[in-house]
Amino acid sequence: MLGRWIVAFAFFIHSSPLYRNVKNTTYNFLENSNYPYKKYFDLTMIALIMLSVYILIRQVKYEMSLSWLFFNNYIISLIFLVEYLLRLWVYSDSTKVIIDQYEHDLFLHRPFSLRKSMKAIFKHKLEFIFSPAAIIDLLAIMPFFHEFRLLRVFILFRVLKLFRYAKSLRRLISILASKKFELLTLALFAMIIITVSSVLIYVMEAHNPASKITTLFDAVYWSVVTIFTVGYGDFVPVTHEGRVVAMVIIVSGIAVISFATSIIVSAFTEKLDEIKEEKVIDDVSKLENFYLICGYSSLSHEVIHRLKKIFKHIVILEKDPLKAKEAQSEGFIVINADPSSLHTYHTTNIQFEEQVIAVILLEDSDVANVYTALTIREINKKVPLYSILHHHENRKKLSLAGIDEMVNPHQLVGLMSQRISHQPIAYDVIHALRLGHGGTVIEEIILDSGMSKRFFELLLHPLFHQRLSMLGIYQNSTQTFAFNPQPSYEIQAGDVAIVVANKALSYEFRDLLHRKKMK
Amino acid sequence: MIARCAAVFGFNEYSQQIARHVRHVYQDFTLFVMTKEEERAACEAGFLVELVDLGDDWSRIEEHFDVKSLIVFCALANDSENVFLTISLRAQFEKLNIIALAQDNESASKMKSAGANKVLPSLQIAANVISDMLEKPIVTKVLHDVLYQDGLLNIVEIEVPRHSVFVGKHLHDIHFKSEYDVILLAIVDHEMGTTFSFASKGHNHHIDPHDVFVVIGYQDKLDALKQAVKRKHD
Repeated sequence: MLGRWIVAFAFFIHSSPLYRNVKNTTYNFLENSNYPYKKYFDLTMIALIMLSVYILIRQVKYEMSLSWLFFNNYIISLIFLVEYLLRLWVYSDSTKVIIDQYEHDLFLHRPFSLRKSMKAIFKHKLEFIFSPAAIIDLLAIMPFFHEFRLLRVFILFRVLKLFRYAKSLRRLISILASKKFELLTLALFAMIIITVSSVLIYVMEAHNPASKITTLFDAVYWSVVTIFTVGYGDFVPVTHEGRVVAMVIIVSGIAVISFATSIIVSAFTEKLDEIKEEKVIDDVSKLENFYLICGYSSLSHEVIHRLKKIFKHIVILEKDPLKAKEAQSEGFIVINADPSSLHTYHTTNIQFEEQVIAVILLEDSDVANVYTALTIREINKKVPLYSILHHHENRKKLSLAGIDEMVNPHQLVGLMSQRISHQPIAYDVIHALRLGHGGTVIEEIILDSGMSKRFFELLLHPLFHQRLSMLGIYQNSTQTFAFNPQPSYEIQAGDVAIVVANKALSYEFRDLLHRKKMK
Repeated sequence: MIARCAAVFGFNEYSQQIARHVRHVYQDFTLFVMTKEEERAACEAGFLVELVDLGDDWSRIEEHFDVKSLIVFCALANDSENVFLTISLRAQFEKLNIIALAQDNESASKMKSAGANKVLPSLQIAANVISDMLEKPIVTKVLHDVLYQDGLLNIVEIEVPRHSVFVGKHLHDIHFKSEYDVILLAIVDHEMGTTFSFASKGHNHHIDPHDVFVVIGYQDKLDALKQAVKRKHD
C-alpha cells in the first residue's frame, strides 16, 4: 500500500512542470557553469566566505558586535546549510529511481520493491555526502555550533568552499588530481622516511641529556622540519648517530621536494593545452554574436582579416592541431576540434540560434564542407551557411546539404576576366567601391514604410545632392531592384536603399533619415 | 586599341573558366598549354589549343596574332611560372595587354613588377566576395547582377569623343539621373590624371575630349547616353 502511494507520488512529482522548473533552475545556479546567472550566485557565496573569515580574524583581538556574530554564526551558516541541502537534492533524481524500479518490476510481473528503490536513492545520496566537496561543505556549516569553541576553527573550511565557486581553483585541483598516483607514491615515500627517521632519531637522541629531542613527538617534528628542508634549528641532533640520520634525511628531503616539484610542473605542462582550450571555450560562450569559420586556410585568413575590419567576432573550428596553432599565433579565437563532428558542438556548447550570425565553410574540399554542413544542419536548420565551392560540378550537392550561398573562386575569376578585359575602368570602379578605397563606399540603408517623402527630400538636400548617389531600392518582399526610382516610389518596410558616397556622408545620411525631425 | 583576339596560357580550373567566359567575346581565341597531357585534356574539353613552353621563341605569337589587338591571360597554376611567363611576354612585347592570375597579394605584386597590366589575386577575390556576401548581401547581389549577369542593368565606360557636345561643359551641367536615367559612378578626367575619380566626391569636372564616364543604367538608356555623347557640336 505504502509502495503504491510512493509510486503515485513519484509520478505526480516527476510530471509536474513546476517541480521540474524549480529543480532545473536550482541545478543551474549550483552546478551549471554555462548558466549565465550562476556567476552572481558564486560571487555572493564568495563574499559570504570572505566576510566569515574576516570576522574570525577580527574577533581574535577586537570585540565584535552581537549582530555581526549572529550574522556569522547563524545567517551565513544557515545559508550554507540550505545550499548543502539543495545540492543534496539536485545531485540525483529520486523520483526517477522510484519510477524506473516500478516499471522494471511491472515489466517482470513482480510486486514493486520499495526497499530496492530506497536503497538506490540512498546510495546516490551517500555518494554525494561522502564526496570531498560535500564533506568540506558540511564542515563549513560547523561554526553554526559556535558554542563549541573548537568548532569555530571549522570556519576555515569555508575558505576551502572557494573551490566550488572559482573555476580556476577547480582547474588547479583537477590538474593535481591527474597526478594522484604519483603524488600518493611520493607521499608514501615521504611518510616512510619520516617514520623511520623519527624512530631512529628518538632511539639515538632521547637518552642523551644534551639533546633536546626527548619525546617521540619531538622526533617526528624534527623529521618533518628537516625532510622539507626548513630546518628551524630549535631541535638539533647532538650524537654522531643522530647526525648521520640527519644527513640521510636531508638528502631524502631534497629528493622529495624535487620530485614533488617535477610532478606538479609536468602535470601543468601536460594540461596546458587543455587549460587553454577550456579558456577559449569559456570565452566563446561569452560572445554574443560571432561568425563561425570551419577550417583554417589562407582563404580563411583573408576572410577573417576582412571581417575583423568591421569589428566582428570570429571563431574558428580547425581539426588539424598545426593549423589551429598557426591561427592562434595570428591572434584569432580558435578551437582545435573537428567541425564535422557533432561531439564538437556539444563540448563547445555553441548556441547557433543565439550566438552564430553565419557559418562559413572554408575547408579544403567540397567533401569536407558537405559533411560539416550536414552536421550543422542536424543541430540547427536556420543558421545561414556559406561555403567555398571548389568544383563547379558539386554545386547541387552542396545545395542539397543545406548550404545557402556558395562562392566558386574559379568561376568568379572567369567572370572577372571577361569584364576586366572589356571594361577595366568599370571593373576598377566597382572593385574600389567594394573595398572602400579612397573613402568612397557602397552601402545598404534599411528603410521603413512611410519614409518615402523624407528619403527623397533628403537626397536633394545640399549636403547630399551631387555627393551621394542612390543607385536604387531593393524591395525585399518581391526581391526586385528598382534602379534610380522616382520620388513617387512607395517605400515599404524592410526595403534597402543602395547608396554610393563618402563613408562619413553615408552615415550622416542614414542618421538624418532615421531622425524623426529633420533640422 | 580594342582587343580583338585573346590568348589564355595554362590549363587548370582557373584558365578553363577564363577561356569559357572570354572565347565568345573575341574574334580569335587560342589556349596555350605547356604539356602534352594538358594539350590532350584541353582538346577533349573542346578548346583550340597550342603547345608552348616557357623558353619558347615568342615570335610565334606575332605570327599568330596582331599583338596590338591582343589580350593575354597568364593563368598558369604555379605563381612563379606565371611570373616568368608574364616577364617573358613583357620582354618581348612592350605594348601587349597582359592580365595575370595570382594566388595571393604577395604574388600579385610580383606579377605587377613583371609587367602585368592587371592582376587578379584569386584568394583576395574569393575572400572579398565572401565577406561582402556576409556584410552587404544586397549590394553584392545587385553588383553581381550588374557586372556578370545578362540582365538589363549594366555598367559601361563611355569615352567622350573630340567634338562631342559634352566637351567644354561641367559635370554638374549634365543631369545624368533626371535626363538620361543613368547614374554616373566615376569619371576619368585626363586633366586630373589617368585614374578615375568618383562622381560622389562632388567635384565639378570640366569635360575634355577622351574623358571617360563610368555609368550604370538600363542598356537602352546607356545606349541613348552613348548616342548623346557622340553628338557633335553644331
